[in-house]
This record gives sequence, C-alpha cells and structure tokens, in this order.
Amino acid sequence: MLEVTNINKFYGGVRAVENVSLEVKKGKIIGLIGTNGAGKTTLFNVISGFDKSDNGIVNLSGKDITKLTPSNIAELGLIRTFQTATGFPRLTVLENLLVFSSKNNFNFFNNFLIKQDNSHDLIETAENVLKNFGLLEKKNQWVGDLSAPELKILEFARAIMGDPLIMLLDEPAAGVNPALLENLMSIITELNKNGVTFLIVDHNLRFICEITDYIYVMNDGKLIAEGTPDTIINNELVIQTYIGK
Amino acid sequence: MEGFLIFSISVLTLAFVYVILCLALNIECGVAGMWDLGIVSYFGVGAYSYAILVAPAAASYQHYLFGFELNPVFGILLAVTMGGISAYLIGLPSLRLRREYFLITTIAFSEVLRITFSNENWLTNGVAGIYNIEQPLKTFFSPDIYLILLFIVFFVFAIITYFIVSRLSNSTYGLSLKALRENESLAKTARIEPSKQYHSVYVFTGCLAGLSGALYVWLNTLIVPTQFTPNVTFFVWTALIIGGIGNNKGAFLGAIFFVILLETLSFLNLSAELALVISSLRIALVGLALILILRFLPNGLISEKPRFL
Amino acid sequence: MDIFIYGLVTGSILLICALGFSMTLKTEGFINVAHGQMLMLGAYYALGLTYIGFPFIIAAFLSVLFCGFTGLLFQRVLFKPIKGNGILVQLFTSVGLAYMINGLVGAIAGKRMLSFDIPIARVIKVGDVYLVTPYEFMILVIVLITVLILHLFLQYSILGKNIRAVADNQELAKIRGINPDRCSDLVWFIASSLAGLGGIFLGILGAVHLNMGWQQIVMILSVTVLGGLGSIYGVMLAGLLLGFAMEFGLLVFSSNYRTAIAFGVIILVLVIRPEGLQSLWQSKGREN
Ligand SMILES: Nc1ncnc2c1ncn2[C@@H]1O[C@H](COP(=O)(O)OP(=O)(O)O)[C@@H](O)[C@H]1O
Ligand SMILES: [Mg+2]
Repeated sequence: MLEVTNINKFYGGVRAVENVSLEVKKGKIIGLIGTNGAGKTTLFNVISGFDKSDNGIVNLSGKDITKLTPSNIAELGLIRTFQTATGFPRLTVLENLLVFSSKNNFNFFNNFLIKQDNSHDLIETAENVLKNFGLLEKKNQWVGDLSAPELKILEFARAIMGDPLIMLLDEPAAGVNPALLENLMSIITELNKNGVTFLIVDHNLRFICEITDYIYVMNDGKLIAEGTPDTIINNELVIQTYIGK
Repeated sequence: MEGFLIFSISVLTLAFVYVILCLALNIECGVAGMWDLGIVSYFGVGAYSYAILVAPAAASYQHYLFGFELNPVFGILLAVTMGGISAYLIGLPSLRLRREYFLITTIAFSEVLRITFSNENWLTNGVAGIYNIEQPLKTFFSPDIYLILLFIVFFVFAIITYFIVSRLSNSTYGLSLKALRENESLAKTARIEPSKQYHSVYVFTGCLAGLSGALYVWLNTLIVPTQFTPNVTFFVWTALIIGGIGNNKGAFLGAIFFVILLETLSFLNLSAELALVISSLRIALVGLALILILRFLPNGLISEKPRFL
Repeated sequence: MDIFIYGLVTGSILLICALGFSMTLKTEGFINVAHGQMLMLGAYYALGLTYIGFPFIIAAFLSVLFCGFTGLLFQRVLFKPIKGNGILVQLFTSVGLAYMINGLVGAIAGKRMLSFDIPIARVIKVGDVYLVTPYEFMILVIVLITVLILHLFLQYSILGKNIRAVADNQELAKIRGINPDRCSDLVWFIASSLAGLGGIFLGILGAVHLNMGWQQIVMILSVTVLGGLGSIYGVMLAGLLLGFAMEFGLLVFSSNYRTAIAFGVIILVLVIRPEGLQSLWQSKGREN
C-alpha cells in the first residue's frame, strides 16, 4: 500500500531522515518509534507531501506520490494527523466534519454557478459519525471551545468522513489519559477492521506494542531496527537507544 | 426636494459603493482570512477601465489617448473584467506569501499602481484626472429623479453582491476558505488546494472591487489618482471591522455605518474655515469609533456566529 | 558620487523612520500604523514650539521628547489593555489612532503645507565636488550617533538586554523576572521619539504636511519587511539599500516613479526571498 524507499531529508547540517525505507502493507497497523528528534515527524511530512525529500521515492497504491502536493495526496486517501491535536477553531464541530467529506467539490465555479450547499445526506452522515463518537450534542459548538480529549476524538471523526485508505497518526497517545487511550485504541482497531491501514508514531510503547502488527525503530534519522512487537521489545539495540533513556 | 433628503440619498448611494467593496474584502479577508492591504488596486483598475471606456475623447488641453464614449454597460463589464485580470496577475507572485508578507506586497502593488495612474498621462491624463464623465441616461431624467434612480440602481447592485457573496460564503467553497483561514495545514489534509482557493477568491474580490470602482466613477463623474491611495483600503477595512469581520451582514451594515459617520458632519452648513476643521475632526471621529469598537466589541457590531446546519 | 550621497541621506532618514516601527513590531508583535502619524506629530510639535518662540534646535529637541511621552501615553491608555487580543485588533487600533492623530492635528493646524522657519542652506563644496547641505550633513551625523547609541543601549545596558529578551521570548523573559510592561513602556518611548526625530528630518528637507505620515508608513512597512520583520539590523541595511535603490533607479526611471522603484524592489525581494534580507545571515547561522 505505502512504500517508502531511500528517503533523505537534511536541514542544513541536520540529517533529519537518512536513507529510510519502509513498507506498510494493506490492512496492517504499523508502528514507528524513536526518541525525540529521531526524524519521525519529518518522515511523515515527506510522505504526506508537506515537505519535499532531498531524494527517495514514496509510493502509494503503486503510484509515485513523491512530487504531489499535500492535498493531492489526501485526495488519494492518505490522511495524516499532526503532533498537536488541531481543528478549525472557528468552525462548528459539524462543519469540521463536513470539510473532510470526500464528496466535497471545492471548485469555485461549481459553487458559484450550481447550488452546492452541504446536502442533507452529507449532514446526516456527519451527524451519524458524531453520534458514534458521542459528540452529537456539541455539533453546533465552535471547535475552539472543545476540551482536549474531545479534540482528539474529533480527529478520528473527521478522518472517517474522508473515507481514508491509510492514516498516518503522529503521537496520538501523547497527553491522553488511560480511559481515553482505551477509547482511541478501540476506534483504531474498529477502523482497521473496516479496511483502513495505519502508520502510527508514538512514544507509548505499551500502546504501540499492543496495537501494531509490525514496528520500525528510528534513531538520529536512520532506521535501526524493525520487527514484530515481541522481537522489538527484546531487541538489544532498541533497549539501549530507546528504552534505556 | 428638501436638502436633507437629497443629502441622505446621496450619502447612501455612495455607501452602496462601499458596501460592494466591503463585501469583496469580507470574502477575501473575513472568510478566507487573507491579509490584503491592496484592495484599492482593483477598485482603481475598475474605476479607470470604466472612465477610459465611457469618457469622451480628450480635449486639446488633455493628454489621454483613449476615451471611447461607449455605453456605460461596457464600462462596467470592462471594469469587472480588468479588476479580475489585474487581481489574477498580481496574485501570481503575491499569493505565494502569507500574512505580513502578503500584506506588504499587496499594499506595495497598490502604491505602484497609484503612481502609475498619476504618471501615465497617455492613459489616465495623470494627476489632472479625467472630468465630465457623463452619467448614463442622465439626460432623460430630472436631477431629482435621477438621484433616486441612482440610489435604486446602486442599491440593487449592492443587494445582488450581498446575495452572491453570502451564497458563496455558505457554500462548500466558502467552507474551504474558512478552513484555510483557520488552519492551512489541516485544510490541505482535507483535500483543499490552498493556491487554487486563494487565487480564485482573490480574482473574485478583484472583480467585485472593479465593479465598485466603476460605480464610484459613475457617481462622481470624475477620476483622479488621489482617489486611490491606501487610505481607501484602510477605510474599507475599518468599515468591515466596525461591522463585524467574517459576517456579510456586518460588512453590509459596517460600510453604511462608516460612510454615514464620515459624511454626516459635512452636511452642516458651516463657514469655510469651520468646515475645514470639521472635515479633519470627522477623520478623528472615525479613528475614535474604530478604537472603541475594537476595545469593547472586538468582533464588530454583528459578529461571525457559529453556523447551524 | 552625488547619487551615492543622496542615497545615503535618503536611506538614513528612512532608517530612522523605520527603526522605531521595527522595535514595536519586534517586542509588541504588531504592525503599528500610527507610527507614520508619530512622524508627522514630531514635525508639527517642532513647528508649534517654534511658533511660540523656541529656537529651532530646542524646539526639535523638545519635540522628540514630547513624542516619546505621547507614545508612552498611547501605550498605557490604548495598547496595554488590548495586549493579547490578537494582531489584527492591535493593528487596527493603531489605524484608529492614526486617524485620530491625523484628524486632530488637521483640525488644529489646518491642511496647508508648512515648513520650518530655518535659513536656506548652500551646498557644501569640496574642491569641485558639491556634497551636501549643512542640514543633510547634520542629519547624517545625528543618524549615525543615534544608531550607535541605540546599538550600544540594546547590546550592553541592562534595560536594552531586557528589551531583547522580551522580544525573543516573552514567557521566558517573565520567568527570568523581567517586567514586560516596563519594557513595552520603554520601547514605545524610544520608538516614538525616533519617529519624532524622523519627522523633523523630513520636515527640514521637505515640507510639513498632513499626509506625510500616510506617505511614509507604506515606505516604512516596506523597509521593515525587507529587513526581515522586526530585525533592527536588517532594517538599518534595508533602509540604506532602498535609499540607494531609489536614487540609482532615477538613472533609469523618471523621478515621478521614485517611490514606485522602492516598492518594485520590495516586491521583487519578497517574491524571491520571502524572509527578507535577514534570511541572508540567518540561514548561514543555522548551517554553521
Ligand atoms: N524545519 C526544520 N528545520 C530545521 N531542522 C528541522 C526542521 N524540522 C525538523 N528538524 C530537525 O530534524 C530532526 C528531526 O525532527 P522530527 O522529525 O520532528 O523528530 P521526531 O518527530 O522524531 O521527534 C530534529 O533534529 C529537528 O531539529
Ligand atoms: Mg515528532
């Protein structure tokens, strides 16, 4: 599904990502761990088109997406989240979902000439999603007024609206209380059952090991290990560089 | 007609010109969140397009080459088109920039344009400007009736603009603009291509500003470069902030409120000396109003509300 | 040669006008449109003081001080209460203030063009080369001294270091026990005095009129952006650069396009290098 080959990204002298290759197979949940500054977010930026790599290739479903813009890549079904949970603060919860709908036509002329109001079907779908996530009562509130846990949940709710093929989650468990983490894990596995592939960056090893099928480990921009969760937590190198700290 | 009535009607007619400009600024800056300090550019381009097409050929003491004396309808169409085209062209380099950098580029372009208007005599008759631009259909009506007619026509233009802009703001397109305003990176992950949306809204704004420029010349029957200083831009922004940025009703009422605030004092029949003082004081009054609004009603008279769907 | 000197004079005045603006931008974080009107206020204060009988030099000196205190007043009454309400609120409050200053000065002083009552000066001639008028020479000297003092003050005095700390990181500065309000007061005082000084210079070389603030503010914005928002040294370089650009541009364009040349340069620089001149040395810094 997603193949990353020999990616390099240097910022001046900082080798943020150095010759990294990895593969995410369809239907899997893959983990990516590494200390702060290991280059995980940079790799995400390169994959999702927010940053151009110095060289290397990113393939999504057999298509070379290395040179595409973030919105083109999103169009292909790759949705990413950011390290700090975000939303559109001065849009309502419902609108935040509607923006992400894969059925939207944002073209100026289409909206100027043809009445393109957010159709009832779409709103109904969004309301159903909100109901599933327990956010329905808040649908007309501004997202800026949501609590941090609600915002976390919203990130998944809106992703569903976009029918993603693959989701890249950047530290979804950071700053999340245990109850919410359970909730997030069930959401992720539920989505995964419905066919969404995941690549997840996180520091919470328990969470990553429990949920993923396969784990890559980065340090100082390079991949230093990979394997199933069992082998990773027993890997000497990983224990030294990662857990040792 | 009674003096005060005439005065009120002409003030409101002028206000409708500002309403269009203010609505244009609102969809660009209130809805899409751009920091444009150059809207006077397209206002000016529209105004000159109209003037050149509608004005009579130059007299011996004038320098402009054109002056086609065409039907004002063509003038308005050209104004809208040229407003859009100039916005498209200026957008090419400047839309790559954001916030402060965009702001300074747009204001710089507007100054370059104004200086060009002042100096290219063959096109604009330079600082002397172009006078006696005939008002369409003027000869068929008595002055009083024409005044009312003008009021109605401009009102219709303003209302139509209001509906178009409102519809667009509430459409999926408008939603994408608001998303860009709120968080551009996140908007990209929602399949929104910033450059396309920004460029299209910028051109749309240019068209509307061009329209209001044409109406402005229609109303004034003359055009001089000093009508197109950044002051216009700041005035429109002030009107928008007073009304409520992001809200089209706010933009509409803000423009009217603003023009009334600016023009009311000029009605009083005063000695020339006092009139001069008053004309300065009303600028101070606008300043005071802006400061007070920002302090006590920072979202304007009618603020942007959550939209219930 | 004379182009070089004109460029130097134009650039120095631009620099003085833009310095204060750039300081408020850096520490307060917003574009202070009223700065242009502070220039005008400086010129009119000086004018007013000469009318009531002060000799020009003393009037100019007092005017600079008055401007400083006026700025301080604005900071306390208008800007301190809205700190943290967002950049646009602050920016447009300053637009409102600009209108108020402009309107009030216009109501009191009228709309006529005025000028300082100082003798017309001959150009200093060295050998066969015409250099500058004594006024221009004095301006160059004062600008040089002012910039030097400002540099020493920011770099070495405790107050100056505090200002820089607040500009870099307000929260961190607070933790280190620096009072940001005190710094804001000081910055407003310095910035407004500098504006007053710039306004007097403009009045000496040109005329004193109601529109001088509006004319200058766009130029000041340009210099500041070119210098890399809020970098004081970037602004100094940008001021001089634009001064030269305008004077050299006259070799190619008609003098009516003098300011247009400056704006053209700005647009070009921004499109090629959006971070302004500052990026020239900042990006190098990171690579090392
Ligand atoms: N825009 C940037 N400019 C310069 N250096 C950067 C930039 N983004 C990231 N880096 C550097 O690249 C390295 C990797 O950062 P990052 O990908 O954020 O790490 P992680 O997400 O694994 O914590 C860090 O050393 C960081 O300082
Ligand atoms: Mg990271």
